[in-house]
Amino acid sequence: MTLPALEDIAAHRGGADPIPGLTRIETSPREKATPVIMEMIHAVYPHDEVFGEFCTVNEFIDCPPDELFDYLSDTRCLEEWTYSLRGFTPTDEQGLWLAYDRLGSETEIYTRTVANREARTVDYHCAWDQGRHLWMIYLMRVVDAQLVFDKPGSVVLWTNCHHPFYDNNPYPETAPPDRPVWVGDFWDMFGPGHLLELKNLKAIAEYRHHNGLPVTPDWMRGSANLTGRS
Amino acid sequence: MSRTTTQPAVSLIDVATYLPENRVSAQWYTRYADSDDLRDNPMFRAPDYRHHAADDESNVDMIERAVAALTARHGPEVLADVDVLLTHSQLPDLPILGAGGEVAHRLGISPELIVDVHNGGCAAFVLMLKLAGRLLAGGGGRTALIAVAQNAAGKIFEQEQVRKLAQASVPGDGAAVGLVALSDASPVLDIECRYYGQNATDMTLAADPPRRWWEAGPGEGYVGFNEGKIIKVLARGNRQVPAVVRTVCDRIGVKPNDLDLLVTNQPNRLLLRNWNEALGISPERHRDTFGECGNLFAVAIPLNFEAAIIDGQIGAGDIVMMAGFAHAGDFAAAAAVQWGATRK
Repeated sequence: MTLPALEDIAAHRGGADPIPGLTRIETSPREKATPVIMEMIHAVYPHDEVFGEFCTVNEFIDCPPDELFDYLSDTRCLEEWTYSLRGFTPTDEQGLWLAYDRLGSETEIYTRTVANREARTVDYHCAWDQGRHLWMIYLMRVVDAQLVFDKPGSVVLWTNCHHPFYDNNPYPETAPPDRPVWVGDFWDMFGPGHLLELKNLKAIAEYRHHNGLPVTPDWMRGSANLTGRS
Repeated sequence: MSRTTTQPAVSLIDVATYLPENRVSAQWYTRYADSDDLRDNPMFRAPDYRHHAADDESNVDMIERAVAALTARHGPEVLADVDVLLTHSQLPDLPILGAGGEVAHRLGISPELIVDVHNGGCAAFVLMLKLAGRLLAGGGGRTALIAVAQNAAGKIFEQEQVRKLAQASVPGDGAAVGLVALSDASPVLDIECRYYGQNATDMTLAADPPRRWWEAGPGEGYVGFNEGKIIKVLARGNRQVPAVVRTVCDRIGVKPNDLDLLVTNQPNRLLLRNWNEALGISPERHRDTFGECGNLFAVAIPLNFEAAIIDGQIGAGDIVMMAGFAHAGDFAAAAAVQWGATRK
């Protein structure tokens, strides 16, 4: 049985010619597609090509995925494993946290954590200076390593997208006066920088798991009800 | 820059090369080309030309002709001093013995040591440079002649069945010799040789119907390739060659992109591009002769080096990096030479 794949587009275009940019075996047989792929294989890739538009880092963490998910779902975990976010306190708004990003001196950073237990996705919606438009979004996903590596533990996938606001601060009036830097100035450091932070996460979670400590520490769990975590 | 050894300095004094007269264009293959899944694969994209050894032209003949170019410059007396003779060919004239003995006889020399180097593949020149250096530094004499020949293009790849294959349009023939001496005139600064024996069995010969290479049968032998193997070999080449170059660069204290010249084996344009990118070396300083000579196997490194010497692209004191990988990725090597302009 053949599924009516792309029939709507063929009908719309009035013919079976493929739309530009489509590489499928029916119109690009293997001997045509393989050379294209081979040309795309390089020994090295420029930093900008790898980290310019999307910034993705991944890591294996020897810690059960559900425990790691629980830990990551609590916004205050960022106090521990990020490089420079410190002083998390709840705001008047449910689920919205205020902290300071020590990358920019005296810079406020607002965070709202959106987690989905079934998919084990944890997205940190953040912004410098103001909490109304959380446009810096850290997309993370915890995967059961048993499924993908055939061993116990977690795989953490983490991607940021190069939002245009990284290049131009849309809310300059909210910035502290005379602050010399903007968060987007550091975009090119995000790849290695996020990897360092991911290694922080690995070190912390593995230490706790290997030593029988709860991955989410008591101080975080004890006050969970007060924090309005989502 | 510092030498990493206290052994006596070993120099690459000169190289000389030979290309067979028969210059074959890419169209020659198009005439015979059969449908082959690998036809458009960039690993087998044909060079404009390559040279083919004559059917009756042996490795020894080719080496002798390269040596003639050497003695034309240095005088025949240069051969009298040869204490060590190393030869290499991936397609020996007879599989049972290599070319060394016959080469010595033809040249009328009697080195103390003759070794046919069967491994090293497309990076054999670097392996032989290291071997010659060790032998000389260890008291094996004062002068070594290292000789590489490649004649598979005019032999294996001209066969009626094999010339139809995509792989046939890439190899080219030639020979090269290097004059190595205990001297600090054109010193070998450092050499890295790495063996990846786990990849050795990926180098295979095939025939239709299948048979062992020494068995009789109707099918002509060719190199066993499939898409999966090609990707693996490409990936190994991508990794291994920049890795050995960087290792040597680290030890001699030169950044890869400060090298005056890089010469490598030249399996295809894709790997040449990838090595440029990986090492941050412009194509101009990564000298190749792929378009004129195709894949020269072990001969590419010395032949490309000589091309740069002839053009005056390098001069006295320049740092030359020679690098390559062999077979399906079972060996990789790099050597740095501070060229002393010792060519006569």
